[in-house]
Amino acid sequence: MYCISDEQIDFILNDIRRNGVEKEDLQLNLLDHICCIIEQNLEDNGNFEDFYSQVIKKFYHQNLHEIEEEAELLLTFKNYYAMKKVLITTGTFSAAAFVMGSIFKAMHWPGAGVLLCLAILVTCFIFLPLFYILKNKEVKTGREKWMLASGTLTGILYALSVLFAIQHWPGVTILWLTTVVLSFFVFIPLYFFTGIKHTEARFNTIVTTVLLVGATGLLFTMIRVRDPLPIQMYAYVKSEHLLKHMQEHSAKNNNSLAIEINKSCEALKASLLIPEIGVSSIPDDFESRNMVITERSMTGVFGMGKNKELLEQLKANVHKYNASLSNTELHIPIDHSVLDMPQDKIEMFSNLAVLNNIVQIQMFLANSKSATVACAK
Amino acid sequence: MIYSTELIKGTLKTIVLKMLEDNKKMYGYEITQRVKELTSDKIQLTEGALYPTLHALEAEGLLTTEIEYIGKRVRKYYSLSPNGKTKSKERVNELAEFMDTMKFLLDIKTKLA
Repeated sequence: MYCISDEQIDFILNDIRRNGVEKEDLQLNLLDHICCIIEQNLEDNGNFEDFYSQVIKKFYHQNLHEIEEEAELLLTFKNYYAMKKVLITTGTFSAAAFVMGSIFKAMHWPGAGVLLCLAILVTCFIFLPLFYILKNKEVKTGREKWMLASGTLTGILYALSVLFAIQHWPGVTILWLTTVVLSFFVFIPLYFFTGIKHTEARFNTIVTTVLLVGATGLLFTMIRVRDPLPIQMYAYVKSEHLLKHMQEHSAKNNNSLAIEINKSCEALKASLLIPEIGVSSIPDDFESRNMVITERSMTGVFGMGKNKELLEQLKANVHKYNASLSNTELHIPIDHSVLDMPQDKIEMFSNLAVLNNIVQIQMFLANSKSATVACAK
Repeated sequence: MIYSTELIKGTLKTIVLKMLEDNKKMYGYEITQRVKELTSDKIQLTEGALYPTLHALEAEGLLTTEIEYIGKRVRKYYSLSPNGKTKSKERVNELAEFMDTMKFLLDIKTKLA
């Protein structure tokens, strides 16, 4: 049995390290293994170096580093097939949920929001990251890795922007802008210069790049980069001024139903304004106080709770009022207003449209006071 | 005859698990020698396949390890974890069934028959 010296052990260990085996665990495994072979097979007076170089060659095909690669491959891809399965399942699910959600939304059926949210969240946080992990193993060069990373990130940001846009969540503009900038200045250039290098992929690369630039450009034109003037809000403020003016310049209406309707209107307006600007009516100095009412969909606002109660009460009072008057010209006109709409159509209204509807009812009452009073008498 | 590495690749984990089940604790070189001895040199595990497999099995929690210092070098002993013991039996049974199926599929008459 050959006796290995400490120097020879160091020599082997250094050789293993030099050949690209970085994991200490594996280095020690291999060192012990080689020592065992040498001890068992080399004669006492044999040539260590010659024997070692013969033995080590049997460990690999091209280089020793293969062993470490193989170990890593086994560790990472332990779940390779499971991951691929999850990728396909989540991808199919997201696509199906997105199509269904879009149809539901177009038809104003319940459940659209849930389906779209689910589709986008699954895409963002399961499908795309998994796609990145799996694909990252296949690409070789640094540039391709960057392209893949920026592409995945662009995809995630794009999907999140869509989610924020359809749910009317704040911060959508900044998300869109980040998506466009990342796509235009990072992803597309990387994609183009990676693809153009391969002669056989040149044509496809050019076509896809043009399409990507087109899509990104189109997206950019649709982003509201600067906040638009709140025109709808100004219109509503004007209506309120007009109402005040009318109420001040005509005789007091003592019709108890009219008083009741006005009260309901004020309550409903307050309930819609408080979440937006914190107060129950728009003050005169709203501009200097930076108060802005942004247009919002009424989805769910009148579905239940206090708002629904207030709206129902207002509807009932208006119906009573109209019923009490035989002259139909004096009836409060509510056609095409939020008072006239079935529940599933109300969500097509914006908050400002509803506020305008209500103030119009009050204006009609203020204008028809004398007539009503006369009629009631 | 030495079996091809392709044939051994699919059964390597099972072989390693079974060796450790029968021998309590072993180190890498010992496993290769034991397999060689038991199969009269027909199966020769390569280092390039054995160590990645050992590392993968360890990462899966099927093996526990012990370190022993031998002079300047370190020897890593592997043994089955409780999980590994169950897995070992499962894989041996699976392979036995697989061999039966292969016999049938390839229409191999057993030597005794």
